[in-house]
Amino acid sequence: MAVKKDLSIKYLGIECENPFFLSSSPVGGNYEMVAKAYEAGWGGVFFKTVGVFVADECSPRFDQTNKEGLPWLGFKNMEQISDKPTELNFENMMKLKRDYPDKVMVATIMGSSDEEWRALAKMCEQAGADLIEGNFSCPQMTSHAMGADVGTDPELVTAYSKAVTETTKIPFIAKMTPNITNIEIPAIAAIEGGAAGISAINTVKSITNIDFENMTGMPVVNGKSSISGYSGAAIKPIALRFAAQMLQHEKLKNVEISGVGGIETWRDAAEFLALGCRNVQVTTAIMQYGYRIVEDLKSGMMHFMDERGYGKLDDFIGAALPNMIPAEDLNRDFQILPDFNEKKCIGCGRCYVSCFDGAHQAIDWDEKRRKPKLNDHCVGCHLCLNVCPVQGCITPGEIKWKEGRQKTEVALKRNYD
Amino acid sequence: MSKVTKAKYTSEASVGFTHRTAMEEAARCLLCHDAPCSKGCPAGTDPARFIRSIRFRNPKGAAETIRENNVLGGTCARVCPTGDLCEEACSRCGIDKPIEIGKLQRYAVEQEKTFKMKVLKTPAKKKAGKVACVGAGPASLACAAELAKAGYRVTVFEKEEKAGGVLTYGIAPSRLPQAVVDHDVAQVKGLGVKFEFGRKVGDGIDLSQMGFDAVFIGAGLWGGNLPDIPGKGLAGAYTAVDFLKSARTKQEAFDFGKRVVVVGGGDVAVDCAVTAKLLGADEVRIVYRRTLEEAPGSMSEFQYALSLGIGITTNMAPAELVGESKLEYAMFNGRDGKSGLKIAADAIVFATGQKAEDMSKIMPVALNEKGLVKATAKGKTNMAKVFAGGDVVNGGGTVVEAVKAGKDAAASIIAYLEKKGVK
Repeated sequence: MAVKKDLSIKYLGIECENPFFLSSSPVGGNYEMVAKAYEAGWGGVFFKTVGVFVADECSPRFDQTNKEGLPWLGFKNMEQISDKPTELNFENMMKLKRDYPDKVMVATIMGSSDEEWRALAKMCEQAGADLIEGNFSCPQMTSHAMGADVGTDPELVTAYSKAVTETTKIPFIAKMTPNITNIEIPAIAAIEGGAAGISAINTVKSITNIDFENMTGMPVVNGKSSISGYSGAAIKPIALRFAAQMLQHEKLKNVEISGVGGIETWRDAAEFLALGCRNVQVTTAIMQYGYRIVEDLKSGMMHFMDERGYGKLDDFIGAALPNMIPAEDLNRDFQILPDFNEKKCIGCGRCYVSCFDGAHQAIDWDEKRRKPKLNDHCVGCHLCLNVCPVQGCITPGEIKWKEGRQKTEVALKRNYD
Repeated sequence: MSKVTKAKYTSEASVGFTHRTAMEEAARCLLCHDAPCSKGCPAGTDPARFIRSIRFRNPKGAAETIRENNVLGGTCARVCPTGDLCEEACSRCGIDKPIEIGKLQRYAVEQEKTFKMKVLKTPAKKKAGKVACVGAGPASLACAAELAKAGYRVTVFEKEEKAGGVLTYGIAPSRLPQAVVDHDVAQVKGLGVKFEFGRKVGDGIDLSQMGFDAVFIGAGLWGGNLPDIPGKGLAGAYTAVDFLKSARTKQEAFDFGKRVVVVGGGDVAVDCAVTAKLLGADEVRIVYRRTLEEAPGSMSEFQYALSLGIGITTNMAPAELVGESKLEYAMFNGRDGKSGLKIAADAIVFATGQKAEDMSKIMPVALNEKGLVKATAKGKTNMAKVFAGGDVVNGGGTVVEAVKAGKDAAASIIAYLEKKGVK
């Protein structure tokens, strides 16, 4: 019998069967796509951004980065907001809400003036959307009155948020750009404008690769290219950081955040939840693998909850947030020396190379036996543990206290996948 | 029911890597410190270096590393018993399975061809020294290339019409396509080495009268070696050398019958069996006098034979061939003294080792009791200006061993010529 756990959660007062949503992107731009995603098991969708502006797209419009033969480490997208007529988009949203009343429909909109934002908000209400998301963050718009250029201007964010929240009572979520030093500033501006929630992050402005055939970036559009948004696994660490920084801010700590950026597995999703997000959104992994990935997002999350004894998502949401502390507050009194398992060691010498060239020359190499041996230069940095290709070969070992420091109980990580 | 692979005589036994799959395989490499694989190659190839080049997106650098070290890099990538050499030494064996080093080498050499690279170069100023290499097989090719790289003038004498020796006239093309051999040989030709084809040294060619400062004998083993058993003179009894050569030259026109027995336990026996099968034999068996564990052939080659539906019988030695004018059946005696075997066959191929032809015709060098040229590990014979290496010295080894012998002998020749003051 497969494990069963309650994945339901309330997000901004809306009952969601699970926290896994499509983000506003190419993966949810028409009736058929969203219907298929719902059927596959996604809890809801942030419908592809609708504006009064209708996009005129270029071809090709995608690129990806890879490392050591592993494709899609990161993904670049030049597509803008919906290229379909505004009315058609709202009509599709209405039909989807009618046919899938238990699924959550978030209408994502983008205007270029107060009037446009108001008009779009009105249409969201008429379409029966459960929530409205304001896209203040698309980095590849052909108009500078929209997208990421708006998201870095707190006054515009407040004004446009106000335009929406004064028009409708539907809870409003502002989607933030990571192309800014302090994301808290526009986030606070949105809340001051009446926003109830925040989505973060949109894509990171990027040039993924240079094509030497045409001497331009990728993708190549008639011999030219443009800076545009980077997404996928590569940006997850950046997204987690922005989520944590907002949730730790005095003015934002109670804001319901929807985490976006590089989520592929239940583990990625659980990380956003552990930092305090109450919803997560996915696009890039769907573009690569399809809607079916939701099956393992759900099943994996249930197994995780079962393993940890959680009855509901709220049992661990935010659990990791208090443990993210400023660098100056970390205990720096001890060094955890690595322990080398001789039986597991296959003698590749990678720990030796990395320790010498990248750390503290703390490993001696026994040439004859092809085994590493720790010497007293070790500072406990664990570069060796991170570079070792054998699971469970190098593990945290003896705790060494610095001269004159107070010994205490130390919490440490013992299990590395 | 086991699925048996069907293939054509000239179709390759395995597909190579693309850029993507090569990168995936290179990413599996642990990039060891002081890599054991690089110590596992007799010819001194440095897999750790060329795999690192592939991993860091420098396939041309990888091709250079291989070619600079081994002029037969393309061939060795296909026929090397990597499972007993570099891949056996691979640290990754401690986790799961070794890196496919031979296949990565194949990929790297293919890049050389794709990018039309010319890796090997001769010095601008040629030396006066003239050297003759006897035979155009692996040892001679390697020796000739090293000498040409050092600026010497080299002529290779080959009795056949094409270069490659056992590579061209021995090994099955499914394992070693002719184009791969030709590409390697082209590198030697590109160094300015002259080839005299259809000229057998000894048969009206006296090297001692032709002004060569030194001679390298890399003539290989082309003397037939039928075991001394009753019926060995029957039609349908072949030596491996003759069988493989007829197959390479006549291909589908080679009519040897439908039922074939191959005697032997080395890679050559497998080559004969595979050749017979791919050329249309219905029933092919390999019979070996010892166990597989004792067999000199690689397990991967035996597995390939099995995949083609070839049977393998062990601990049985040939005792008699029976037939009126041509072979009808062969009798085998068991190693245990009790078992026995009678197999009806149209052809029996003896892949039980080859003999050297009469080497004294080439040069009056000292030979051992088997007729092999007596030479040191560095290729020196009892005659100061005559050097030798490869199968004609070791009695039959791998291609990579012949390459090493050719390279080592070249070093000895260069030292000899420099000492003699030949500029």
